Amino acid sequence: MLENHKIWIIFLFLLVLTGCSTEDTTPKSQDASKATNGGELVISSVREPDTLDVQKTTWVDNANVHLFDYLIGRDMDGSIIPGLVKDYTIADDGKSWTFHLRENVKFHSGEELTAESVKASMERFIKQSPVNFLAGPITGVEASDKSTLIVNFSEPYAPFIAGLTSIYLSPLDPAALKSEGDKFGNKPSGTGPLLFEKWIRGDSITFVKNEQYNWGPSDAENKGGTNVDKVVFRFIKDENTRMLEFNQGNIQIMLDVPPSSVKTLENTDGVQLHKLLDNGLTYLAINNDKPLFQDPKVRKAINLAIDRNQIVQYAMEGYAKPMYGPLSPTIPGYSEKVEKMAEQMYTRNVEQAKQLLHDAGWSNVNGNGVLVKESKQLSIELLLTEEPVMQRIAQILQNQLKEVGIDLRITVQDDSTIRTNESKKMHDLILWQYGWSDPDILYILFGKDIPTRLFSTPELEELLIKARQTMDEKARMAVYERVQELLVTESPWVPLFARERITAYRDIEGFKVNPYKKIVIQDIKLKKQQ
Amino acid sequence: MLRYLFKRFCTMILTLFGVSILVFFMVHLIPGDPVTYILGDFATNEAIAKLRSEMGLDQPTVSQYLSFVSGVMQGNLGTSYITGQSVWEEIAQRFPITLKLGIISLLIGSCIGILLGVISAVNQNTWADYLVSIVSLLGVSAPGFWIALFFIYVFSFQLAIFPISGYAGWHSLILPSLTLGLGSVGNIARMTRSNMLEVLKQDYMRTALAKGTRYWKVIFGHGLKNAFIPVITLIGITFGNLLAGAIVTETVFGLPGMGSFTVESIVKRDIYTVQGLVMFLGMMFILTNLLVDLIYKWIDPRITLE
Repeated sequence: MLENHKIWIIFLFLLVLTGCSTEDTTPKSQDASKATNGGELVISSVREPDTLDVQKTTWVDNANVHLFDYLIGRDMDGSIIPGLVKDYTIADDGKSWTFHLRENVKFHSGEELTAESVKASMERFIKQSPVNFLAGPITGVEASDKSTLIVNFSEPYAPFIAGLTSIYLSPLDPAALKSEGDKFGNKPSGTGPLLFEKWIRGDSITFVKNEQYNWGPSDAENKGGTNVDKVVFRFIKDENTRMLEFNQGNIQIMLDVPPSSVKTLENTDGVQLHKLLDNGLTYLAINNDKPLFQDPKVRKAINLAIDRNQIVQYAMEGYAKPMYGPLSPTIPGYSEKVEKMAEQMYTRNVEQAKQLLHDAGWSNVNGNGVLVKESKQLSIELLLTEEPVMQRIAQILQNQLKEVGIDLRITVQDDSTIRTNESKKMHDLILWQYGWSDPDILYILFGKDIPTRLFSTPELEELLIKARQTMDEKARMAVYERVQELLVTESPWVPLFARERITAYRDIEGFKVNPYKKIVIQDIKLKKQQ
Repeated sequence: MLRYLFKRFCTMILTLFGVSILVFFMVHLIPGDPVTYILGDFATNEAIAKLRSEMGLDQPTVSQYLSFVSGVMQGNLGTSYITGQSVWEEIAQRFPITLKLGIISLLIGSCIGILLGVISAVNQNTWADYLVSIVSLLGVSAPGFWIALFFIYVFSFQLAIFPISGYAGWHSLILPSLTLGLGSVGNIARMTRSNMLEVLKQDYMRTALAKGTRYWKVIFGHGLKNAFIPVITLIGITFGNLLAGAIVTETVFGLPGMGSFTVESIVKRDIYTVQGLVMFLGMMFILTNLLVDLIYKWIDPRITLE
């Protein structure tokens, strides 16, 4: 019978433990503390990069950008600032860009940054990057002297600036490229404020301070290497686990806080939240190749049936900005005029939506309240990923469309399956998102030769090409304004909202995010623990 | 014995051949391929076609299959196009964690499970028996993620005895092993109980007791040993499953093991990695089964392996 007693003892033990857990044991407060140099900064991230070789992936985020420096930077407000390129000029015909590089910049291997090394990186980018279209119609790159680089194009290509201000075109360490070759991603090296130390796949990436760094861009107060000695990115997928680690103080910065956790964090002592509007939108992609959606009345009716405020409030818990036009406010070229116009045209109006559908021939209603035309029901399928937020949005959309007589069928698929369906034009609607910091995103979504393009008219196609070839910034943005107007009147998709990226942090000072890049990692200091 | 092992080796090759056909066609039948993942939103038709041909995805299916099989026969499980690492490298990083996790949780699961099973069989239809049934039922039906979070909350967050997540040596494996182990306690206990009940009715048990052998020695030495064969089978299967990785437990505890990696590879359509991983896991499963058979023979010399 001894064993039976043991069972009871274990039971009692568990009960006592559960009792303990209701006690309030808020982690030690560190308010009255001072900032300090050194130490280890831990950042949690949901998605692990596939590779640290930024020329082999489309995905760049905080975990893989700090090894490298931008050729050209963008300040907090989006204006152009020097990076590794001191200044640049564009030839009058727009076909040749000349860059003057900053001097005395060294790669992590100790090798000096020269026009030759930038050229080598750029050529590697053109050859193998999945986003090499960012380089446009480049005909050649030449290093005319040690610190002057000339890039030639067959025709003017204004969006090149988007590539230059991205991490994809950052110079990679020639020594590492030589020794690692195709495996550069396993031992990446650049000119950035952090050096690569180790990567435990599925777990974490560790970086250390670049001691020789002194060429920080103007958006960082500290021009030198990071204040902290070490930066660790930990990849924790489970939301609850992440929250527990953060609450215990094992993580100082938690990226991509899910909206549902924000309320809890707001009420936690010593935790601060940072919100930043995304350079992109969540939208409903409409398959304009299908006869049903070729009638603009149907597309407009769907647009009018949707109440964005409700979606933002209930699915996003308020952490998003409802959007009616094609560009989110932080993308250069965003037009307030167009956004206002779009808001006026597409603020929810059930009566108008019903009228439009009636005019399109959907005049009868069956017993389920669904519109019928020639004995066919107005039933549409919506594809979406399994992200919980997306599912909540889909349910709200289903209800809203139901009110105008549209039956929405919700189908959850994984990302790759949706992409396949999209490229084969098998879908009706997709709940989708885009992100990019240049209005050229409209070319990528609607331009010529894009296999998944959502919609096109000859005028739209022409305008998008013209925008690419207009080198004058102001004139270029004017073209994009016209493009946006066109997209609003045609309603080939339904923009829904721009997300707010929420970051939670604690026990640190000097936290800031550049909306066009990432966290300004050099300025962060740990608070001294008491 | 050698002849037996040789025969097993031949069937293993055949089984792996079957596995290779199944996995190859499965990964090629699901919509989407790694190209759509790698190139992302901004892919042009040209870029897609170019990468597909670089990866050999434009080859006829049969020749793709043949090159996969010939690779495997030379011990090459393929290379991930997404991480750029060979599948062996990936396995070398992740399998040790999964193996340790599997062994510890199996030890926990079988020790507790067998003990509970024996207790409830010996005390059939008493309160102890019912209690064990309830505990087994709880172990089987409580979702793994819930147990995991409960453990993390109590032992890591409140008591701060163990790390909350991540892998930093043996102590990181204790809570995940407990979680997984408790999940298998129920099945093992029930299996042990029903087999023990059979054995307890046997004449040799009564004889042993009549001889004056001590009660617990009869139960464990004579009884359990004879009731053990089906339990070993169950433990073997459980172990095979554990080696494939415990997706939920790994995710909650943030452990870089095989389970979460396999799922991630499927989601990213990293087909070469998926193929390689499945082949490797198939091999592990077969080896576990072989081990189980050898253990049968060791426990019960009456069993012939020929």
